[in-house]
Amino acid sequence: MSEPILVAENLTKWFPVKRNLTQVMKGNRTWVRAVDRISFTINKGEIFGLVGESGCGKTTTGKLIMKLLEITDGTLEMKGENATHLRGAALEKYRREVQMIFQDPYSSMNPRFTVRDVLMEPLEIHKVGKDAKEREVWVREILDEVKLSPPDEFLVRHPHMLSGGQRQRAATARTLMLSPSIIVADEPVSMIDLSTRAEILHMMRQLQREMGLTYVYITHDLSTARYFTDRLAVMYLGKIIEMGVAGSVIDRTLHPYTKALIAAVCEPVSGKVNRIKDVPIKGEIPAATNIPPGCRFHPRCLYAVEECWQEEEPTLDDIGGGHLVACRRWAEIERLGAAARTSEASLGTRKSSFAPSA
Amino acid sequence: MKKRDFSQLRSMWSEFRRIKFGMVGLALLGMFVVVVLIEPLIVPFPDAATRWRDMTYWVDNPRNAKPAWVNWFTSKDYAPSARIQSDNIVSGEFGAGKLYQAELPYKYSWDKAPSDVTLRMNVTGNARYEAEFIRPDGLSVTYQKTSQGAGTRDLRISVAQNLQPQLYQFAGKYEDPRVMQSTSASTINPLAVLFSQAEKGALLSGSKPLDGTYTVRVKVVAADATSSLNEAELIVAGGVQGVLGTDNMKRDLWSGLIAGTKWALIIGLLTSFIAVVVGVIYGVTSGYYGGFVDSLMNRIYEIFSSVPLLPILIVMSAVFKPSIWIMIAMMCIFFWVGPVRTVRSIALQIKEASYIEAARGLGASNRRILMRHMIPQLVPYAFASMALSVPGAIVYEASISLIGLGDATRVTWGQILQAAFSSGAVLQGIWWWVVPPGVAIALMGMTFAFIGFAMDTILNPKLKTR
Amino acid sequence: MDKERILEVRDLELHYFTRKGVVRAVDKLSFDVRRGETLGVVGESGCGKTTMGTALLNMPTPPGRIVGGQILVDGQDILKLSETEVRRRVRWEQISMVFQGAMNCLTPVYTIEKQMKETLQQHREMSKEEAKRRMVQYLNLVGLPEHILKRYPHELSGGMKQRIVIAMGLFLEPRVVICDEPTTALDVVVQAQIINLLKDLKEQLSLSFIFITHDLSIEAEVSDRIMVMYAGRIAELGTNEHIYGPQGPAHPYTQRLMAATPRLHEEVEELAFIPGTPPDLVEPPSGCRFHPRCHVVMDRCSRDELPLREIEPDHLVACWRCFNE
Repeated sequence: MSEPILVAENLTKWFPVKRNLTQVMKGNRTWVRAVDRISFTINKGEIFGLVGESGCGKTTTGKLIMKLLEITDGTLEMKGENATHLRGAALEKYRREVQMIFQDPYSSMNPRFTVRDVLMEPLEIHKVGKDAKEREVWVREILDEVKLSPPDEFLVRHPHMLSGGQRQRAATARTLMLSPSIIVADEPVSMIDLSTRAEILHMMRQLQREMGLTYVYITHDLSTARYFTDRLAVMYLGKIIEMGVAGSVIDRTLHPYTKALIAAVCEPVSGKVNRIKDVPIKGEIPAATNIPPGCRFHPRCLYAVEECWQEEEPTLDDIGGGHLVACRRWAEIERLGAAARTSEASLGTRKSSFAPSA
Repeated sequence: MKKRDFSQLRSMWSEFRRIKFGMVGLALLGMFVVVVLIEPLIVPFPDAATRWRDMTYWVDNPRNAKPAWVNWFTSKDYAPSARIQSDNIVSGEFGAGKLYQAELPYKYSWDKAPSDVTLRMNVTGNARYEAEFIRPDGLSVTYQKTSQGAGTRDLRISVAQNLQPQLYQFAGKYEDPRVMQSTSASTINPLAVLFSQAEKGALLSGSKPLDGTYTVRVKVVAADATSSLNEAELIVAGGVQGVLGTDNMKRDLWSGLIAGTKWALIIGLLTSFIAVVVGVIYGVTSGYYGGFVDSLMNRIYEIFSSVPLLPILIVMSAVFKPSIWIMIAMMCIFFWVGPVRTVRSIALQIKEASYIEAARGLGASNRRILMRHMIPQLVPYAFASMALSVPGAIVYEASISLIGLGDATRVTWGQILQAAFSSGAVLQGIWWWVVPPGVAIALMGMTFAFIGFAMDTILNPKLKTR
Repeated sequence: MDKERILEVRDLELHYFTRKGVVRAVDKLSFDVRRGETLGVVGESGCGKTTMGTALLNMPTPPGRIVGGQILVDGQDILKLSETEVRRRVRWEQISMVFQGAMNCLTPVYTIEKQMKETLQQHREMSKEEAKRRMVQYLNLVGLPEHILKRYPHELSGGMKQRIVIAMGLFLEPRVVICDEPTTALDVVVQAQIINLLKDLKEQLSLSFIFITHDLSIEAEVSDRIMVMYAGRIAELGTNEHIYGPQGPAHPYTQRLMAATPRLHEEVEELAFIPGTPPDLVEPPSGCRFHPRCHVVMDRCSRDELPLREIEPDHLVACWRCFNE
């Protein structure tokens, strides 16, 4: 079960910021540290979730895995082979192994293409199948697999003639054409109506079981991540700050940032209308060009003490049971939390300041 | 692959058929093509294309004749052009030589006399000839002359040029002597005299037209056995002629216009096609690659787009032998900049679309992304752009013709227009010389615009109403 | 719960006259909004929830037209007023709206102060100082400091811009504020902050909100009563407790939507989903519009015209299954 398929070691992506003339003369060079030395291992056949707010680097990580962006530093290993920088035939082989589902299925398909063209494309690029006839047979099989039937009806449609769910099915079908091992799914259901969202996730999971796929599921939605993924990594400002089994990360959260995220999530249960939501976080996300020293979360953390910004950034450490956290005070916070819960029970509804400190 | 392309074309056609203005455009294009194909069958002067500037080819035509259909709208009808061939030349012994006789009847029933009537005789050797113009009222005018020479040649007797003295005398019989004193043979219109009632006032073209059959009796006395009359023909150069009349060089404009169609198609299509293909590929490449490549390509583009085309064309036409092919090549070299800027900006936009990223993720090469994803999106724009540069190319060709550097061996619409302008056709009210080539150029432009817009509707699925 | 009704909607009908035919986007909608409450409107995309919002301001987007019904504000039908009267007395004065994505519609070239002042001065004549005082007051109300006035939109975060847009919606002291998806483009933490802000404003100013969203979980947090729309009609209208309480919603559509919503702290093996797609509103299905996708459909569902009935106090449902007959 836990045979690693993709291993990232200190994976880093820095983007240069456009400079004006004086900055060039002075030799200043600023960087957006979109992904900053992250390490993770994805096992064969699992669904690995990357969650975080916008700008946390989760999509960039996905694109690094997809090799749509050059890796600035660190290494990437796929099936035991180094895949940090690939060229030519090796890259082509890698591309067949790793596929991507995009957030917006509408814009990820050429509007001029029919479903047939969309699905034929990967086969044509990689010269799979000896002729169009053979390729079409496969296209029909895959369409059947993603439940777009009858194939004849869908093959000739353009993306705009499909409903949101059907579009995402077609997009999924495209990723399956080359029988890949890993599929990177970037917010695959966020643009789809709630009523069909589960249907798509259900289909994706079924395909995963049938074909032994590995998913990297990128999302900002903790609830679907909990439902869909096996393991989960929470990112903040280009760094993984907590990682572990999905249930464990969400039900036994350790990092203060994850705690805040979870507290902020709305749930369809009664009795919350007249209560102000308590989100234990302050301030706003700093710019990725200007990452705070020490623990990068400290300016927003309610539990930050001097050592948090004076000392080195905490490392992502395993605290047992495959649960990793990058916070030096997690144990203390746990104790504080337990104490607070008992006192809060007596205080009743607590009101928090909801204003951001600007 | 090829087979699927066909099916795609077929489905495109089935959609195209539903777009009305597209079909109108296609019908017009079809019409132009048919016109080019059946050109020899529909023009009265099949050599117009090659002998447009050969004066002798047009010699028998009237000058500045209106189109024939003008008669439908006027109260006084103009005599149209006509040719009467003698079907039998009677020959008989006459001394040492022979006497040839022929009769050429011309039925006249119009209000305005033709601009000229010419008797053409094809003779060999020495001949003395006599032509008697017999009017329906029995009166006649005779012209006699001797022609000496060797070989076969055409002899022409023009009423307008040769019969002035005879007709002056003829009409003078009915006039006041005072009128005769104040006029001379050269001031009258001999045609008007010939074709009007023999009465007072005829001399000054004031009397009623005389309808009926005019007969020209030709007698040729061939001096010796080697001489003969081979052919006799009466050529009526009307006040109206053909579908579109004639210009001041007696050229038949309909023939010229039809002969110009194929050149318009060739100049317009070839120039705009080559230019747009080059421009689209250039713009897309520049936009897609970006960075240094883009900057370099932009500078080259700027150089080409800032060089004025006309002076270059003039210099080139002066350096090379003025040829339509060189002109097309030169226009291509400068016309390609037309679509570049727009194409580049569209390419920059498409480049950001996530399906381009998806294609790259699938491992598509740059070439494939350009050819499969980007250029097809530009087809509608390319068509529109082609449609727009078709008239431009035709007009540029006309401009070059205007300064006399055009390819003199071809008839183009531009050259017809240019000739019209330079001889003041507009001021003289010779609209049939100016309007048809103008309309033809506009129609050609419209044809391509319609087809372009229809293609746009099909190729841009978002515009589809479904 | 018997509070004063400040907005009553009766049989509201809005149709879009398109080339394909008449789209019945809002079909005989009746509901009311009470003082100091938040009415949540949920539904899938295309169910007519945003259309209904614009209809309440009597400003339907062309080719839409209000073809019937009444919108009563203080007992007066605003659909009977002239456009100038609506503009002077109702729109923004009584009912205002925070449009979806409005925070991205702030003009990038003007400061916040200039943009806020413009909105204010279009409706009220007031001195510079007065206007400034008022702007600062409302900024503080939505939790922003005064110096924000000098900023340009691009210098602010999404949450701040959303706060500014909300402040602008409150300027003229309306009684009802319609918020269309005010939290959709925001991150969860900021979303929670905006939700808290709305709750606080409701309490402080005893405002009424109409909160339009596609997300059932957010409604659970903000809305006192929830109106579930399907294909231009009300499927279910009940209190927060009716919809989210232990006994669960009554309408099969709401039930299914609820079952399709993933839970954060529950391990769910299989989420439910609703097969099919929402109906074409040019030719909607006969009878109950949900019947082609319903899992408990009966014979009469496709046959009989469906009424909206109160099955218990303050709980209205349009479903044959729920009526005790």
